[in-house]
Amino acid sequence: MTFWSMMQELLGGLAVSVEIFFFTLLIALPLGFPVALGRMSSNWAVSGFFRLFISIVRGTPLMLQIIFVYFAPYIFFKMPLSHYPRLLATVLAFGLNYAAYFAEIYRGGILSIDIGQREAARALGMSRRQTFLRIILPQTIKRVIPAVGNEVITLVKDTSLAFTIAVTEMFTIARQLSSAHTSMMPLIAAGAFYYAFNYLVAFAMEKLEKRLSYYG
Amino acid sequence: MKAFKKIVPLAIVAAMICGCGQEDDGVRRFTVGFDADFPPYGFKDGSEYKGFDLDLARAVCERKGWTFVANPINWDAKDMEINSGSIDCIWSGFTMQGREDDYTFSSAYVDNSQVVIVKADCAISDFASLAGKVVGVQTDTPVAKALAEGGDRQDLGVTFKAIVVEPNYNQLVNELDMGAVDAVALDIGVAKRKMSDLPGKFRMLDEIVMKETYGIGFKKGNEALRDEVEAALREIAAEGVMAELACKYGIDEEALILK
Repeated sequence: MTFWSMMQELLGGLAVSVEIFFFTLLIALPLGFPVALGRMSSNWAVSGFFRLFISIVRGTPLMLQIIFVYFAPYIFFKMPLSHYPRLLATVLAFGLNYAAYFAEIYRGGILSIDIGQREAARALGMSRRQTFLRIILPQTIKRVIPAVGNEVITLVKDTSLAFTIAVTEMFTIARQLSSAHTSMMPLIAAGAFYYAFNYLVAFAMEKLEKRLSYYG
Repeated sequence: MKAFKKIVPLAIVAAMICGCGQEDDGVRRFTVGFDADFPPYGFKDGSEYKGFDLDLARAVCERKGWTFVANPINWDAKDMEINSGSIDCIWSGFTMQGREDDYTFSSAYVDNSQVVIVKADCAISDFASLAGKVVGVQTDTPVAKALAEGGDRQDLGVTFKAIVVEPNYNQLVNELDMGAVDAVALDIGVAKRKMSDLPGKFRMLDEIVMKETYGIGFKKGNEALRDEVEAALREIAAEGVMAELACKYGIDEEALILK
């Protein structure tokens, strides 16, 4: 195994990891909002449902959730899984899981907005919807960036859990190369790739935070 | 904006489902589940998965005109994988003994022995001197079961200080090298491969923990597929392909059952 062929294989695995990362965020970042609002709903049935959802998702291992999402059609309905893409199951499981965490971060952000903001908006004659979309939401987004950044970075590293249902992302490729060549080198290289990936993520989050800090 | 946010994930999910459906081009796919941490039977070689078992499976597919799909699996999830139809068979140095009730097996095609390797420079010389030592095994393998309480080689297992169960052999061999375990019980083919990868580091004990045979595991009751694959495998073996592959991957030719 030459160094470059190893890098090539790892980059192939990285592409899968990035795919999981990207699609998970695409699902979870927006989905977190309805979940947060549902959790804060004054209707007890709605808030109870979302409370239960968040409780289960946060209270069980992501690895178990991935297995569940992939094998559920077979376990409950005896449906053969030969046409159920593993990557789809992975992204669904990750998306639901991260949406629950994002929801709690968003909820914290929404609750942190001073009540005076709401009162002022009402005094200006804004509807509840307008108040939320124009006053509360923009301030919330700004405040939750650091906490969201934490989760996003964790997500990069969590992508390695996808091998639970045989999705060969970067860490799995590294382990397989390590087994095939009885060498630690691929694992160390994978670590460097994860670090580089997260460095970029952290950099992007920091840029975003700066852009939104319009008060100086 | 809100509607847009809802539509995007849905569209992606739809695209992923459709994208996968396109792989159906009328040619039958034969998906082989295997442990990619198991050289020389199945491992990653460049951009492909190769090995004694995978090359045999590939040859069977060529003969049958099937599309060969090598699917490395999480070894702990293999039962779910095969029962749910995610994979068509387990072909991965797959020991038959102790699993007869769980899978429909092909005929045995390779004889295998479970052996013990130790560090070349240590004092362990036979099974008796393994007493009080830490021995590593791979998770969910017959040898792990045999050495554990109630297993066929419990007599040997109880003399150990501890049995360490690890997810794959590579990790075990690394731990042996670094002194975290004193010995590793593993398949003879893998042991030889590891010793040739790291020459001079390890030594194999003469005694054998147990003898067993490898077969191809299919979903319980799937005799039709089993018979098709086995017929093709017998033809391939008769042409000498199996012996060639054994030679290529350093497997003792005498261990071959189908010739």
